[in-house]
Amino acid sequence: MMSVMRGTLVGVLMGTSVACSAGKPAKSDTAAGAEPKVTSQAASGSASVTGARIAVAHAGPPGEWQMPAGDYASSRYSELSSITPQNAANLKVAWAFSTGVLRGHEGQPLVVDNTMYVVTPYPNVSYAIDLAQTGQPLKWKFRPENAQQAIGRACCDVVNRGAAYANGRIFYNLLDGHTIAVDAASGNQVWRTRMGDLSRGETITMAPIVVKGKVIVGSSGGEMGVRGWIAALDAGTGKEVWRAYNIGPDKDVKVGAKMKTFYAHDRGKDLGVSSWPADTWKTGGGAVWGWLSYDPTLNLIYHGTSNPGPWNENQRTGDNKWTASILARDADTGELVWALQVTPHDMWDYDAVNENILVDLPIKGQIRKVLVHFDRNGFAYTVDRATGEVLLAEPFVPMNWSTGIDLATGRPKVVETKKTAQDKNVQDICPSLEGGKNQQPAAFSPQTGLFYVPTNNLCMDFQARAVTYIAGTPFIGGNAPEKGGPGGYRGEFIAWDATTGRKVWGIREPYPVWGGALATAGGVVFYGTLDGWFKAVDARSGKVLWQFKVGSGVVGNPVAYTGPDGKEYVAIYAGIGGDMGLLIAGDVAANLPYDVRERGTTLPDISRWTSWGGELFVFSL
Amino acid sequence: MKRILPFCACVVATIGVACGRGEGSGAHGVTSDSTIAVRSDTSHLMVAGDSLRLIQHDENLPAGFPLAVKPVAVNNPYEGNKDAIHTGSQLFIAYNCLDCHGADGSGAMGPSFQDGRWHFGGSPGDVFESIYQGRPDGMPAWGGRITNDQIWMLTAYVRSLSSKDLSTENFTGKTVERTGH
Repeated sequence: MMSVMRGTLVGVLMGTSVACSAGKPAKSDTAAGAEPKVTSQAASGSASVTGARIAVAHAGPPGEWQMPAGDYASSRYSELSSITPQNAANLKVAWAFSTGVLRGHEGQPLVVDNTMYVVTPYPNVSYAIDLAQTGQPLKWKFRPENAQQAIGRACCDVVNRGAAYANGRIFYNLLDGHTIAVDAASGNQVWRTRMGDLSRGETITMAPIVVKGKVIVGSSGGEMGVRGWIAALDAGTGKEVWRAYNIGPDKDVKVGAKMKTFYAHDRGKDLGVSSWPADTWKTGGGAVWGWLSYDPTLNLIYHGTSNPGPWNENQRTGDNKWTASILARDADTGELVWALQVTPHDMWDYDAVNENILVDLPIKGQIRKVLVHFDRNGFAYTVDRATGEVLLAEPFVPMNWSTGIDLATGRPKVVETKKTAQDKNVQDICPSLEGGKNQQPAAFSPQTGLFYVPTNNLCMDFQARAVTYIAGTPFIGGNAPEKGGPGGYRGEFIAWDATTGRKVWGIREPYPVWGGALATAGGVVFYGTLDGWFKAVDARSGKVLWQFKVGSGVVGNPVAYTGPDGKEYVAIYAGIGGDMGLLIAGDVAANLPYDVRERGTTLPDISRWTSWGGELFVFSL
Repeated sequence: MKRILPFCACVVATIGVACGRGEGSGAHGVTSDSTIAVRSDTSHLMVAGDSLRLIQHDENLPAGFPLAVKPVAVNNPYEGNKDAIHTGSQLFIAYNCLDCHGADGSGAMGPSFQDGRWHFGGSPGDVFESIYQGRPDGMPAWGGRITNDQIWMLTAYVRSLSSKDLSTENFTGKTVERTGH
């Protein structure tokens, strides 16, 4: 473990081995609501990167938000610049809207043509809000048919990560495995296509993107023994155009002539079968429940894949390709072009579904076309997005399961004592199965060249056990109680330099930062916290400029738009939930008011600071 | 009613083979297995006795509504039986109940069993029915997939967990270990 402490990251990792085993960051809970601490790690080097740019332009006018991350690059950067470090202290609530649903509000609204589109957690109601009228009345409300059974088939709350807009239609997924198109003007359902099989535990929670007339969607269910897939539907008709599985024979994975992945060990026939014992790939996970990116020049779609199933690694010896991987696929056909398995033979539930941010960065004096990915496994990857070559991979949170990434192979060097095994209790593994970062998406600002990353600082004990596959039930085989990580804080909002793999500054939070980030051209970055604060931060210094208690914990992602009055607005959901809110929090998370639970050790008093909610907040100067 | 208990025990021992409707459908012959069998006739209304007790404002009911009907007790032959409860706890893991309902039934994807609150009734018959036929929020139907005998043992185990008063949260109490996904 001592070998983890390599020169460049001593500051980040300080105390990992000691505090991990201690387990209890004693006083951090009482600090909830207190002023957050900014910790600067920039001992040397500048606080900005020059020459960096977002690979793909913002979708639509700068004042609109048409796709989940604002652009195909997943930058979550807004060109609006009215709100600045100088005036952010004057931010006020402009208006609010109750979604009528009390579950985890991950995702974000869209803004198109003076209309805001909101999709709720299950039952996945959508609203069109008229921004041009006082009081923001609804233009329409759409309540889709959505099987109730899906509630109990979703592993980690009944979340929905948002919709995508294209050509007068709103596209989004239903928890019960359908993808739908809704007419943006009328709210009428245009088409509805069944994509997932609920009886096998396939739900859908991710936000689609629309690429060249195709709606790209993927499955959830990595904890239910699904066989993960990504698919394209014709935006006009809802007809499935292609579907690629992430495990199984080359034919299904769409490995063919176009596959030219960088590392030799990742080339070969039917790796999606041969890296699994017997037929275990058929229930091996590899779902696509995270964020999608698209590079129009390379015509590649980038997506991650979830953990392999079950968690118990003894039941699936081998690399388990292509679980816990970043995949690049041809947008027209779904054919695999390159694949990078960031956690081969994952045994810690380190899904690789986090967003891939497409940027051009100066690396060693040369502008490189890269994607930057903050993985659950605790490494931040800077990867050549044309080939899949790892240019740089450094820990962005305290970790001890690996001593680093071997750049010659792209594979992690695993610490022997942190390998999990059936019927063994392996203690103090960092990060926990929630990862150094989970679904909460990072943002990138071309002004500073920095990434703004909401992170978790948790560790776990891992007890794997044998499990039998029973369709429609969890296929997990493990228990992994979590605890606060080293340093007495459970989350940190950090600024990251992906050209060097260094943290520039960080704001320590008492709880995991489970909400996403927004960077703006005004030099202000926004994020929300699990204990219900929404914050504006100086992009360069990390100084908190303003904060407002929105009540329920924030697990959603801010967006910026221009109102009909020409002013800049920032919108965020408040509504605690998701894996962190539902499973970990305990009492605050009971799925019905009459289902009462004991508090969890991981977040022992989160329920003192927040409770269920479902509210959209909109702020302006 | 007194005749039911010994009869149940012997029927259950034969695990749903010998205990068909013929044996269990007498006037008082509601046995473990006939809980299911009687669903095809009207007497299942009586089995769902808990729901009758929910009627609190009988002034709204039409004259002659059979308020006096006494629910027929459905007894679990394994209620309180330590060996059966232990087997039930193993089945709880083997059938992946644990990963939905949490360790020791503390609540996870599915509801908690520790809080003494029951979404669909907490009597042995109600719990048996929940496991047998499933529930609308995603609880799978296990009837026909596992033996009724095993369902009774699971019922005994699940009911044995319900002992905690969690109704007040004052932030001084203890916590349980929880696992995310």
